[in-house]
Amino acid sequence: MTHVPAPARAALTPVVRLLAVVIVWLAAPAGTRAHEVRPGYLEINQTAPQAYAVIWKQPTLGEIAVHLAPRLSNGWLKRPPVDQYAADYFLIRRWSVASAAPLAGVSVAIDGLPETITDVFVRVRWLDGRRQDVILRPESPSFVIADPTERAATGVPGFLVLGVEHILTGLDHLLVLLGLILLVRDRWMLLKTVTAFTVAHSLTLALAVLCHVQLSTPVLNTLIALSVLFLAPEVMRARRRETSLTIRHPWIVSFAFGLLHGMGFASGLTGLGLDRADLVSALLSFNVGVEIGQLAFLALVLALVRAFRLLEIRWPRPVALAPTYAIGVFGATWTFQYGAAALGFIR
Amino acid sequence: MKRLRLIITGLSGAILMILAPAAAQAHLVATGLGPVYDGIAHFGLSPEDFLPVIALGFYAGLTGAGQGRAALAGVTLGWLIGGAAVAGLPPLVLSVATAALYLVIGGLLAAKRALQAAPVAALGFALGVARGAADFAGALLGADPALTLAGMAIAVFAVLPLAASVTLPMRRTWIIVAARVSGSWLAALGILFAGWLLRFGKAVQ
Repeated sequence: MTHVPAPARAALTPVVRLLAVVIVWLAAPAGTRAHEVRPGYLEINQTAPQAYAVIWKQPTLGEIAVHLAPRLSNGWLKRPPVDQYAADYFLIRRWSVASAAPLAGVSVAIDGLPETITDVFVRVRWLDGRRQDVILRPESPSFVIADPTERAATGVPGFLVLGVEHILTGLDHLLVLLGLILLVRDRWMLLKTVTAFTVAHSLTLALAVLCHVQLSTPVLNTLIALSVLFLAPEVMRARRRETSLTIRHPWIVSFAFGLLHGMGFASGLTGLGLDRADLVSALLSFNVGVEIGQLAFLALVLALVRAFRLLEIRWPRPVALAPTYAIGVFGATWTFQYGAAALGFIR
Repeated sequence: MKRLRLIITGLSGAILMILAPAAAQAHLVATGLGPVYDGIAHFGLSPEDFLPVIALGFYAGLTGAGQGRAALAGVTLGWLIGGAAVAGLPPLVLSVATAALYLVIGGLLAAKRALQAAPVAALGFALGVARGAADFAGALLGADPALTLAGMAIAVFAVLPLAASVTLPMRRTWIIVAARVSGSWLAALGILFAGWLLRFGKAVQ
């Protein structure tokens, strides 16, 4: 590590700050919220031989609804919904339909889905308890409802992919992982730290989904934001060869943050309104997907660090500090944003 | 002979169709996470962009760390300049440049012909300008072209070192052989592109 004289360091500080702001501005996803991408949910429920209830949960980004609209080829959803209201992160619409026409063969499509990176979970439930579950994706935004006597079981891989997507699009989780990677100094400690994070978030994910243990969304979001913010000064301390409990035992902090983030991951599943019977397999697949996404990110960061080392690149100080500043700026922004929401100052 | 030509034409068409999905769509991949991420996704989903960058990374890694740094600087800077300033070039010119660069980069990699850092930087710069300009020609602009371009440059900046780090340590012979084989494939693609341009006299869309 090259020694930088104090006056030069002082001169560099505004540059580093400016660079951090520029990086955050560049990288900020639309709306700069911690977790934007929630799956949509469409349920077509046969309630009587000739009656159906349709529920559509449209994900929202703050006060902006993601442009998604369900469409059935039999035209049921062209009429206005009987009920419409906003819930946390969702706009919910309900339709009641009386029809003798068979549901099998009807095409279900989600308009606008190809222009997003979110998914839509579709459940068709017949009166006799049989059902068809499908996850629609941007690359396959429609399907045809099968005859209930012919259809196959729920696709577990769907939830696995959902888990992968959930972590890879969750900037807050990724920044915490990045912070932990920057904090640890050897492979053994990295293994302990990542394992602690995994065990902890698996625990609270299971508790949140199976036992409905939950914090209120604004409080949870504020705590997750604080966990991101907390790591930035710790990483800076570690760079300066200072020490603290977090630097000596990062796995302890990682475990504590994992507990919080597990509840955050749960939002990807609890919003779907799955039956209890489906929850265990969905939870397992989803959690495996989260792990795969987490390991993929970890592998990418470590591979990049190795690649830059092999290329013998010596970063200027502002560039070397940029990831830490980015973690701090995002953490601070979200803390203010969600803290204000939790205290009721903003919606 | 006629049959062979027919098979080759068919295969070439199929490969070009596979290679040019983004160009055929002529619109930007929308991730919903903002233009920077759209740019990253566009690069990752466009083989005509990422294949030569990977090949250049392999080549730079084979020739040394200095060449690797030169290629990284050249291609990233070139992509930014190509996307920002040269986007108005005719598609035919960009296609010719792309075909030539595939041929040169692929050929150099396959032959494991070492160049100094400066020519490698120039090669990277030319590739960046050609592909950056090609990406931003026509309708492929998005809501915020500057940030989309920044996203692409970030992706280029990450992918090239990753590719270089595969060949740079030069520990295993089979990795070097595999990298050189991939160079011959890229050169073959360059010949295919060139053949297409000669045969039809228009840009590959």
